[in-house]
Amino acid sequence: MLCQNCGKNEATTHIKQIINGDMAESHLCSDCAAHLGYSDMFSGFGLNLSEFFGGFLGDVKPAVTAGKSPRCPKCGTSFDEIVRDGRVGCADCYRTFYDKLLPSIQRIHGKIKHSGKTVASVPVQPKAETKEEKIEKLKAAMSEAVASQNFEDAAKIRDEIKALEGGESNE
Amino acid sequence: MSKWYIEKGDQGDIVLSTRIRLARNIDEFPFPAKLDAAGKNAVNSAIRTVLFENDCKDFSYIEMKDLSRVQAVSLAERHLISPEFAAKKDGSALVISEDESVSIMLCEEDHIRLQVMKAGLALEEAYDIADKLDNMLGAKLNYAFDERIGYLTQCPTNLGTAMRASVMLHLPALTRCGQMARLSNTVSKLGLTIRGAYGEGSQPKGDVYQISNQITLGITEETAIANLKSIVLQLVAQERAAAAEIIKKPAEEDKMFRALGILKNARLLSTDEFMELASLVRLGAARGIFEIPIEKINELIVSMQPATVTAANEQADSPSARDAYRAKTVREALE
Repeated sequence: MLCQNCGKNEATTHIKQIINGDMAESHLCSDCAAHLGYSDMFSGFGLNLSEFFGGFLGDVKPAVTAGKSPRCPKCGTSFDEIVRDGRVGCADCYRTFYDKLLPSIQRIHGKIKHSGKTVASVPVQPKAETKEEKIEKLKAAMSEAVASQNFEDAAKIRDEIKALEGGESNE
Repeated sequence: MSKWYIEKGDQGDIVLSTRIRLARNIDEFPFPAKLDAAGKNAVNSAIRTVLFENDCKDFSYIEMKDLSRVQAVSLAERHLISPEFAAKKDGSALVISEDESVSIMLCEEDHIRLQVMKAGLALEEAYDIADKLDNMLGAKLNYAFDERIGYLTQCPTNLGTAMRASVMLHLPALTRCGQMARLSNTVSKLGLTIRGAYGEGSQPKGDVYQISNQITLGITEETAIANLKSIVLQLVAQERAAAAEIIKKPAEEDKMFRALGILKNARLLSTDEFMELASLVRLGAARGIFEIPIEKINELIVSMQPATVTAANEQADSPSARDAYRAKTVREALE
């Protein structure tokens, strides 16, 4: 499809807008899109597309262009494509192109070290242990404690086991 | 069940709503832009399975291709989905709770865009709900995550916490005093961004603004929320001070009463005119000049958007029919 503005280049930027409840679509080439002040997915975050691309391109040496750019082993996206689209292909792209992406990431956020929630901090939901499993575990822990001559702990564990077993006999 | 936006929350004279949005991806799958419809459906069904295994009874699962354009745009007008998502069809799906306070866009820009909305200023509460749902999904799905740069997202602007916290504010007095440009400049220096919630431009419709955090990497969720909250409270205080001055002026008072007069009597109301007048009436109601419950005006602001009007009344499918229906609904609501 050709650009609706200049009618010369291939339209690569597709813009959907909702104006008074009606959806309007425009298809523009990247030059006209930039000229008309449309920025794509970055617009919502107060980032100007051309600024962002400029930032990206600033990090790429002109020698590393079309064809020779390495590709992500998982999704096949090349670094050039990431620069062009402003979109990363998959999680592995970040690992593959980490060093190349880092300067742009720093420019966006000012920082390059995550702090906050991590996948590891998500509490794992353990399966409810059966009483037998608990007793089994405690017995193993008791043997270990005895083996390491840690008799105080062993005695505590023995009491715990007794309590559990006692609970069973009362039922 | 009544919808979340019908309630009045904390700082409700000025704060309309709070939203927390988390972006998540599943490590095994390429990001949505690299997936075809079949690939997206595989992602969606993996997420769906986890959600419904976990007894999320009041959630419904909607394929975007099954919605009419009006229904999809109406969801965007209610800020339940993004405008871009409203245009999506094959391979995009939406999970939504009955009271519409939780919505999860599947295969929007990221595999998961989990969003929690609350009335008034309720950042911690909304985050808490989002965090629990996120933990539930994260316990079963292999999230794309890197210890150095956090949650991995299709767009690098969301890396890190991948959390966007936003607060929707009604700032008619600050707008009238010409303060918004200065304030927007100031908040941008603090890593926040402020923009019109209904349409972009120099003067957003209805003087409703959305302020949100811009930086997601290198800042914890708690800090980002605390920063946003403190700025919002300052804006609220400034708006109240400006409003107290404005309502003393006879010319401004006159505008508010005229606005109410038109809303109570008009036979045709366009969206733009409605938003302009509703803003004045809301200002009067917030400052105790009118005895109109503010929730009623909040609800009208949500339900009188064009596609939402058509979605509620099939006959209102042209601009003139919508304007007549809107005028009638507003008259009845303010009687």
